[in-house]
Amino acid sequence: MKPKLLIPAVAAVVVVAIALALLASPPGTGGPGTTQTTTSPSEATPPGSGTTGGQNTQPATAVGQGAQQTPSPTQTTPSPTQATTKPPRLSGAITGGGSTFVNPQMITWSKRFYELTGAQVNYQSIGSGAGAAQFLAKKLDFGASDVPMPRDKYQEVKGRFVQFPVVIGSIVLVYNIPEAAYEKTGKYLNLTSEVISLIYMGEIKQWCDERIQKLNPGLKLPCKDIVAVHRSDGSGTTAAFTLYLALAYPPWNQTVGWGYTVKWPADEKAKGTGAKGNEGVAQTVLQTPYSIGYVEYAYWWKNRDKYDKIGGVAYLKNDNDGKYYFPTAEAVSAGADAGLRRYVAKYGAPPSPDADWNPVSIEFTNPPAGYPILAFVYVFLWKDYAAEGYGDAAAKTMLLKEFFKWVLADGQKQLVEGYIPLPESVARIGLQALEQVKP
Amino acid sequence: MAIFLVLFITFYLLSAFTLLFIKTRWGLRLIAAINVAIIAALVATFAWEALPLLERDGLAVFVNSDWDPPRESYGVLNALVGTLITSAIAITVAMPLAVGVAVTINEMLPQRLRGVFGALNDLTAAMPTVIYGLWGLFVLGPVLQSVVNTVSTWLGFGEVMTAPLTLFTAAILLAIMITPYAAAVIREGYALVPRHIEEAIYAIGATKFEAVLVKLRYVKNYIFGGLFLALGRAMGETVAVAMVVGGNFARFTLNPFESGITISSLIALQFPNAHSYQFMVPALFAGALLLAVVGLAINAVAIYILQRATT
Amino acid sequence: MGVLAVLPLFLIIGDVMFKGVSAIVKQLGSPWEFLAWLPPDPLADRWGVGRLLVGTLYSLWEFLTRLPPDPFADRWGIGPLLVGTLYMTALGAVVGFIVGFPIGVYIGEMRKEAFANVARASVNVLVEFPTITIGLFVYAVFVFVIEDLNRTLLSPLSEWLTSALGDGVGQFIGPLGGYNAYAGALALSIIMIPYVALVTASAYASIPDSIREAAYSISGREFKAMFIVLRKAVSRAVLTAALLGTAKIAGETAPLLFTALGNIYYAPFTQATAAIPLWIWYAAQTPYDVQIESAYGAAAVLLVIVLTLFAVAKLAAQKR
Repeated sequence: MKPKLLIPAVAAVVVVAIALALLASPPGTGGPGTTQTTTSPSEATPPGSGTTGGQNTQPATAVGQGAQQTPSPTQTTPSPTQATTKPPRLSGAITGGGSTFVNPQMITWSKRFYELTGAQVNYQSIGSGAGAAQFLAKKLDFGASDVPMPRDKYQEVKGRFVQFPVVIGSIVLVYNIPEAAYEKTGKYLNLTSEVISLIYMGEIKQWCDERIQKLNPGLKLPCKDIVAVHRSDGSGTTAAFTLYLALAYPPWNQTVGWGYTVKWPADEKAKGTGAKGNEGVAQTVLQTPYSIGYVEYAYWWKNRDKYDKIGGVAYLKNDNDGKYYFPTAEAVSAGADAGLRRYVAKYGAPPSPDADWNPVSIEFTNPPAGYPILAFVYVFLWKDYAAEGYGDAAAKTMLLKEFFKWVLADGQKQLVEGYIPLPESVARIGLQALEQVKP
Repeated sequence: MAIFLVLFITFYLLSAFTLLFIKTRWGLRLIAAINVAIIAALVATFAWEALPLLERDGLAVFVNSDWDPPRESYGVLNALVGTLITSAIAITVAMPLAVGVAVTINEMLPQRLRGVFGALNDLTAAMPTVIYGLWGLFVLGPVLQSVVNTVSTWLGFGEVMTAPLTLFTAAILLAIMITPYAAAVIREGYALVPRHIEEAIYAIGATKFEAVLVKLRYVKNYIFGGLFLALGRAMGETVAVAMVVGGNFARFTLNPFESGITISSLIALQFPNAHSYQFMVPALFAGALLLAVVGLAINAVAIYILQRATT
Repeated sequence: MGVLAVLPLFLIIGDVMFKGVSAIVKQLGSPWEFLAWLPPDPLADRWGVGRLLVGTLYSLWEFLTRLPPDPFADRWGIGPLLVGTLYMTALGAVVGFIVGFPIGVYIGEMRKEAFANVARASVNVLVEFPTITIGLFVYAVFVFVIEDLNRTLLSPLSEWLTSALGDGVGQFIGPLGGYNAYAGALALSIIMIPYVALVTASAYASIPDSIREAAYSISGREFKAMFIVLRKAVSRAVLTAALLGTAKIAGETAPLLFTALGNIYYAPFTQATAAIPLWIWYAAQTPYDVQIESAYGAAAVLLVIVLTLFAVAKLAAQKR
């Protein structure tokens, strides 16, 4: 009998020993976990080190005219300012989660911060709704969402938490119509908020509907049923998207409304289908002929060649200035600028970190000019982690503050395509917010 | 509240102590009570967490097909119907297969291969479900779509399956997953057919086919038992189904070729953000409660049938 | 018919293994890279094959310890996932076994008692419980207990242990985060209990009465008869049950969704913890080729783990 007892015992010992060995090795110095042996921050971006493949430090100039222009993906110029504020070596681990909208960016920040400091900022893209919810349930150390804390929840925890934007993102509409694919026709679809609303309301059922055809005289659209793909989980992308439709097309507001999860009329009246996360929607549209879906810019950008083969991405009409915009970095920043200006004109200065940010996101959506669907990505932090009952609060707070301080300063220069850096004045709000977090 | 955990551990240590040093019998009884306690705790937790919504809506939550979080209106009927459709199709496909598999393995195959195929059958039951999901997502879904559309076009119905990820995909994937499971139960019964009965069947000059029929009637309780156990498994399966079912929770549909949702995948997809809403957590726990109660009922039937078979 | 039933199995294993292994091989890089300075034909060199082996093993080790990919990565591994899965599975299996085994003995040995029937029914029910509901249950329990647990027990305990044993302890014991490996392991152990109990029970029930009487007569105490003497008669079946149960929980995803959450680093087990099935579930639903590839790669590794456990279990059951 003895040897038989030995086997599981030895196995357990081996497992524990391996785990110990892996964990005990000081983070960042390689350890068995990383092959990237980054030594100094200025060398943190060797090509092919794993985290910087398709990343570009200056999206505003590099993205250009969308798919027509292809910037070389390996063109990663280490920013000169990167070495100016060198974060100290850190250790420890925190877990945040939420928005899938910001996931590619957050993961890139997290990996870069890990290379710089050795601290592990785990980010799980579980959806914005979940980000806010699990943050409130104190299951996550920080939450990230594409919409501010909802009003009712805000009232509940008012004064105990701060929220601030970390980056600006935009939502694009991707479609899969093999007959009208960009590769075949050389043209992308034109869409308006009204047509999008009607598709998701199930009123427009086929691609050859004259309301779509009228916008696209040059394209011959097939008479196939439209599969309207939406999120099956709670999502800030949905919130930002439905908020846009609600603001731009009033009937949408009356029949559907906006929120993390809404009841899609297309599901009942036409062919709606759900998918999990931005990832899932992007994937489903790729796989499903005659579908349309809304995803964060980065999810389209990375796979734009694939979309061009089966369909493409839509030009969107800004109802306020009547022009069609292709989702380019310029168009999105133009929209962001216009939105911010409108907000400042209406309310004066941007709000403080513990204020309700919902008015901001409303003014910011459907701006007077530029690409119309864009959103801030907000981060939620508690003001006092110890009082909220977090274990190991001091270490966590320190790590959170260092990370977001870095994100708001140097992090803004290391953006993935499709994200727009925060204007200086808005980034400052975030820094104020961090000061309110008790160490 | 930590007191519960402490109590549980104390309870276990106490029973282990009793078992070792005082009276083995009572120690064992106490430990066995843990298992009963777990089930009681499961059901009690679900009921407790679901209470706010049950108080608000009563049992309407189970017959309401509306899932509209912005208006705080929740009903799990869509998911329940989705669960029933997928499990019904899965069982219909799987049961004849399972009987066939059990018969083939036990009757047709030579002794040497029997063990191999039996082991492979067991392996199919033990494979991680997420791997089934991965395969369903990338291989089964697209293949099924083209097969179904080819057949339906040939029959003159046009293309009925517009997306690769539908209730039907989930049902077929489930059928693949539960066939070996049901087959294992049936084989177990098959192995218990007494030698003298088998000899008697052949003695009266039955052909192999007739013999199989007679034996199947002899083990019919096992077939039903296997059916119900497989049904329970099909209804509770989460990850593989959630990956291929399409995730459409808003529409009430009876058409299996459309994307839908099941209770367990509804929980998996909606639970993370449920705390943003006032009544979504209770609604999902109500779903879990329903799943648990239905599961309990089905298992009770299966266990009853199987126990009648053994005695 | 038999072929038809196992056909999907081969299709699935074939698909996952083919795509997974090719994804892994792509990550390994050529072992020849390590040998670039060698004479072109390694077989001509007396040590060439050895070096080739070392090179392969080294790159395999790198793959098994590297971090999983972000959407823009081109080198990735499964390190944290593997560690998390092994840790939670091992813990879950141990707890599941020490609770499940005595329950099985009780049901098998004292099956004439009324309560034994209740216990048997409860085990039969628990084995069929949807695993997602078990995850939900553990989630609810942890929400309930975690704050008090941290304050009253874990914070002082970890401080004391850290001062006694050094910082390494913090990786295992400390104030728990909202998601952690222990919640995951607890959920897995609840799934494991009935597996072990059922097989143990049927093994004990199948002991011939002559042996049972002999065991009771020579051992004096009930405990000794049940756990020491009779165990010899059933050890093989019980070992098989333990291994099969372990294989089962190693691949479980649903119970981990709300308990372990997932991670992309080697985080302490008191925090959100990675697991291979969780990664497959997440990465398979992304539009990024590198992550889909990594899902297949991770699936291949998971499959190897499960198949190994399964094969060992079957061999253990058959050997006489």
